[in-house]
Amino acid sequence: MSASYEQGIILEGDLHARPAGALAVAAGRFAALINVSAGGHTADAKSVLGVMGLGATSGQHLTVSAAGPDAREAVAALIAILSEATRVGG
Amino acid sequence: MSTGTVGIVLVSHSAELAAGAAHLAAQVSGGTVTIIAAGGTDDGGLGTSAAKVADGLRDANHGAGVVVLPDLGSAVLTVRAVLEDYGEDTAVLLADAPFVEGAVAATVTAAAGGDVKAVAAAAEEARHVRKL
Repeated sequence: MSASYEQGIILEGDLHARPAGALAVAAGRFAALINVSAGGHTADAKSVLGVMGLGATSGQHLTVSAAGPDAREAVAALIAILSEATRVGG
Repeated sequence: MSTGTVGIVLVSHSAELAAGAAHLAAQVSGGTVTIIAAGGTDDGGLGTSAAKVADGLRDANHGAGVVVLPDLGSAVLTVRAVLEDYGEDTAVLLADAPFVEGAVAATVTAAAGGDVKAVAAAAEEARHVRKL
């Protein structure tokens, strides 16, 4: 049974290389198709270069959406990483 | 079925460039992937070294295969010469990719548990990702 989930977050810091890397590493462990969207652009969450290419900055609204068997867990995990990693910076 | 994480070998004409790209890729990917910098000639000059590439392939290999990224086309000649003599059944793939972006993308995919084909594909997709 496949399902779709989506959750938004206001970034507390810019989505630089290290948080983008942490996001993509985590995303790659899920089977679901996962997208991140910000500022009218969407990237595959498993592509670190795509995520960095969003150029998402502090205060911007970012949405994580996923479809697939582990979509719910994927969205929860990535939102948690975004919350932590963009606060730390890097 | 192989175990472990795919290793990465960065083959550059410059030791500093290979080491810097390896450092960056390790930082972005969380430091869980073996990344070997094989840069410069045996005497420290600009160029590539078959011995450094061969050592890198051995050190990066944990049983899941290795993806090799050359910085410029002529580094490919060195890698191919080494691969001709390599003679092991572990998968070694040479990725046709931008050096820095490919190193980062490949390492992140390896850290996520991707197999050798997925890691090489991630590097090669870097060619199509815009920065602006």
